[in-house]
Amino acid sequence: MDVIDHLAAVRRGRLSRRAFTRTLLAAGVATVAMPLRPARAQSDGATFFTWGGYDIPELFVPYAEKHGAPPNFTTFGGSEEALTKMRAGFVVDVSHPCNQGLPRWVASGLFQPIDTAKLSNWGDVMPELIDLPGNEAEGGLPWMAPFDWGQTSVTYRTDIFEVEGEESWDMLWDDRYSGRLGSLASAGDAWWCAAIKAGVDFADIATEDGFQATAAALREQRPHIRVYTDDTTTLEQALASGELAAAMTWNSSAVLLQADGVPVKFAKPREGALTWVCGLMIHKDAPHPELAHDIIDSLLSVESGHFMIEDYGYGHSNMRSFDKFSEETLTGLGLSKNPLEILQAGHFQTPQTQEFETRINEEFEMIKAGF
Amino acid sequence: MADIAEPAQAQQAARPARRGRGANGRLFYRHERLRGYGLLMPALLFMAAGILIPFGILVTMSFWTQTGFDIDTSFTLDNYAKAFEQPVYQTLILRSLYMSGAATVATVLLCYPIAYFVAFHVHRGKMLWLILLTLPFWTSYLLRVFAWKTVLGYNGVINSALMSVGLIDQPLEFLLYSQSAVIITLAHAWAPFAILPIYVSLEKIDRSLLEAATDLGDGPWRRFLRVTLPLSAPGIIAATLLIFIPTVGDYITPALLGGPDGVMIGNMIQMQFGRINDWPMGATLAIIMMICVAIVALTVIVGTSRLKARAS
Repeated sequence: MDVIDHLAAVRRGRLSRRAFTRTLLAAGVATVAMPLRPARAQSDGATFFTWGGYDIPELFVPYAEKHGAPPNFTTFGGSEEALTKMRAGFVVDVSHPCNQGLPRWVASGLFQPIDTAKLSNWGDVMPELIDLPGNEAEGGLPWMAPFDWGQTSVTYRTDIFEVEGEESWDMLWDDRYSGRLGSLASAGDAWWCAAIKAGVDFADIATEDGFQATAAALREQRPHIRVYTDDTTTLEQALASGELAAAMTWNSSAVLLQADGVPVKFAKPREGALTWVCGLMIHKDAPHPELAHDIIDSLLSVESGHFMIEDYGYGHSNMRSFDKFSEETLTGLGLSKNPLEILQAGHFQTPQTQEFETRINEEFEMIKAGF
Repeated sequence: MADIAEPAQAQQAARPARRGRGANGRLFYRHERLRGYGLLMPALLFMAAGILIPFGILVTMSFWTQTGFDIDTSFTLDNYAKAFEQPVYQTLILRSLYMSGAATVATVLLCYPIAYFVAFHVHRGKMLWLILLTLPFWTSYLLRVFAWKTVLGYNGVINSALMSVGLIDQPLEFLLYSQSAVIITLAHAWAPFAILPIYVSLEKIDRSLLEAATDLGDGPWRRFLRVTLPLSAPGIIAATLLIFIPTVGDYITPALLGGPDGVMIGNMIQMQFGRINDWPMGATLAIIMMICVAIVALTVIVGTSRLKARAS
């Protein structure tokens, strides 16, 4: 084939239409046929796939000291969503499930046991938090390194919401505040809280009666709810402006709002709050297994623990993190050096089958849509 | 080197047909259609890879069923039966069609005067006007949605303004987390898609037709109804379809502004692929939605061509 100097030909007005067409064709074919260069990873750091709110440099001070910068973050709104995404092929280094999902996460075969010898803070981790159902992998290694624990309860405006009698889950069903109540959108929290309100024992939560009673409670609640959201910031802003009088939240929302001077309280419902332990798991195909262990070690460090307790009001898994705080401060935050005390006082989430998870998620979406 | 080669090849380019090129070359040059397809090839291949193959996967998947984390690949119409049995899906689809229809009508009604003004009354710097009108598109869609959240919010711009002038003493709660919030936001965000096609069709109108109508005794209003409006109909139809089709499946606007009653079918489809974890059902809903949109779009196209046929 002849080599044509197209630019010169065009400039002199001597490029025929056919030659031009042919060139365009060649360019088109070349564009399609050109092999795409393999997509490179976004950056060289490891990736932490977590709940919104944990994607902050404050929790990665030791990690950043060692590697120069915090890891990459990507967030999810609920752990079911996270598991579905990873099952569909999303590969990360570390993710952040909770005890209730642990056996199902392990059963998915997507994770590897954690090499605790690589964790400098492992010796300080509270043993009762490691010893969770389904957490033991071969060789005594854990699948999940416990990191944070806390409660799901009602945060309410003390100046707006008039509590009748004791604090209770009924507050989120109170028709005096219809249209001024908010809720977390994931069934992983809302379904369990509704079960507590409906008086369903967690041992019976998967039975047909338990299911129907919980669904009925959520249906009854739905007309009163102004917004269902996975985004805790939305709930916090709405509570701060007075748009919401009360909302279902985790510890951190109440602590953050109090720090801003908003008159809110994290209720201690008489039926008991929902309690949980969350932790860190390493993907079996983690591109950076060494960095993954560093992410976990950083989260387990005392520095991160101080931040978790002081700024977020969550329990931390490192027992030395609590030394800095007085018994009084901890009680005020609803925390204790003995996590079991808090976890057992509330309703501790228990692992369920995949069928149950899918069923409650489907049902809850229907309820939220008004059916 | 290229410069040296140039005279010889330019000559050759000037009379390419006369030179011997082999059977393939001749065939290629004689058949205009073949050449056309040759040119379209990159785009066609891209369409096939980017639209037809995923669409095929979607259709296939809609006939499967989800069992736990696995997908049962035996053929079944169960998902479609479920979509018609359970009222929630129909309600969401009808609501999506209604909300996106309302947003489309609002957008076209609001944008027509703007396009009219630019086409007929702006004589200098038209380009600048058009660029300014597409300003909403200069920021990310997500930012625009959040901007509306602050405008419509409980202590947002509108509520604060109304309260400070004493018109209301309690913030209006229906502004945010409602269907109207979604419709308002969509109407604003999609405005350029209405302004540009309507502007183009107005700009193309032969001004002497308007003069003729005036000469023959039409007042401004009758002239508009009998000449300008019919001649700008292609722009209106294009704008309607351009806005209606993508907004029916919108996901992010109802997710952020809709509240419990403003959920649309796009949100349900996302849930099916997300936490409900029932991909075949999500695929089924996506296909039903596509069929609904196609029916509405076809009705608009056929309806207008009927009207056109009757008019001529």
